[in-house]
Amino acid sequence: MGEPAPDARAELAARQAELVAALVAGGTVPAGFDADDLGVARRALLRKRSGEVRRVWPLLAGSCPDFAATFAQWADGRVPAGALRDGWDLARELATAGTLPPPAAAELAAREATARYDGESAPRRRRLPAVRRVGGAVAVQAFGRVRVSG
Amino acid sequence: MRGVRRMMPELGVGIGWRPEIAGVVRDLPGLRFTEVVAESLPPDGPPALLAALRDRDVTVVPHGTRLSLGGADPVDPARVARLAAAADALSAPLVSEHVAFVRGGGVEAGHLLPVPRTRDSLAVLVANVRATQAELPVPLALEPIAALFDWPDAEYEEADFLTELLDRTGALLLLDLANVYANARNRGQDPAALLDRLPLDRVAYVHVAGGSEHDGRYHDTHTDPTPPEVYELVAALCARRRPPALMLERDGHYPPAAELRRELDALADAAGYPRITG
Repeated sequence: MGEPAPDARAELAARQAELVAALVAGGTVPAGFDADDLGVARRALLRKRSGEVRRVWPLLAGSCPDFAATFAQWADGRVPAGALRDGWDLARELATAGTLPPPAAAELAAREATARYDGESAPRRRRLPAVRRVGGAVAVQAFGRVRVSG
Repeated sequence: MRGVRRMMPELGVGIGWRPEIAGVVRDLPGLRFTEVVAESLPPDGPPALLAALRDRDVTVVPHGTRLSLGGADPVDPARVARLAAAADALSAPLVSEHVAFVRGGGVEAGHLLPVPRTRDSLAVLVANVRATQAELPVPLALEPIAALFDWPDAEYEEADFLTELLDRTGALLLLDLANVYANARNRGQDPAALLDRLPLDRVAYVHVAGGSEHDGRYHDTHTDPTPPEVYELVAALCARRRPPALMLERDGHYPPAAELRRELDALADAAGYPRITG
């Protein structure tokens, strides 16, 4: 028994893509699946994802009231970008809306001063000194060391 | 390929190595077996505390989570190479991965997802496992997962699907009794019934863990104490055929050392292996 038929891989690829889209990217429930079961799985993935963001963004998670619910609402249907970028995107959105709590603003300012993030690809460490302001927090980074005030 | 004992000697009770509990793991005097998430290993070598375990002859098994063996795409050679390098770096007697897929259409799901139990899906899985085995320096053990949903149009029952997979690949079985418990509980089935239908002579080692209840289902999250029902399954398995090693998985809400040690004692007692805590 050698390689599976090319059709087998192609058909499986289409069905798996449809299922993953339904679970994490706001896609519709594929034919034949139990919608309730997929809903349970979708929410379980959101809980796991928020736990991962909590580890990478402890001040964001610790200072947002009911972070799990805030994150789940924001992330539902949004393609996972990894905990670092998920938390970064959410923090920026809350900052823009003026609802980012001060400890989380300090955390975001420190990250912004340390790395350059275009919102679409992996953040890249800054080689030059930088100053970034988020809300009332100011982060100053030089030679990789960050100082946050405010 | 029936000689599991040649690939996995009897090592008794162990615990999954995680940086957060590395000190607790180091301080287990009777420890002879641990497992580390392969993707968490830095490319330039294992963390010092893990290397120290290897150097005191603790068996360390790299446990892959992102190969996506059940995925439609052929396995990524770079990921397989990393798993192989981890086995070499840790002098591991075997490595393990899951019967699952983790991405589709270029999107990462963020967790292990079940594969359809069809002939075509099995053919893809078998091809991916064989391609992986061809590049590994040591045997591969496959772990069935806990699933919160099933694919429609299954052509196999779970035990038959797994048995045929193991037969066609020669792979060993990493049996997660917490997954067996979770699946049976969520489907309203008897967990011990599955044990009678699996090739227990292929079990390289066993996982146990505790989970939590959400949305009316039991989720195997590894964040809670192992429930009594899982220890009962340990005893039920060992009454049929005792596996060479069993280990506790904990991945968050880490309890104090004393609590982890109590859990390890409970696991040892349920399996009839010596306690490793002192």
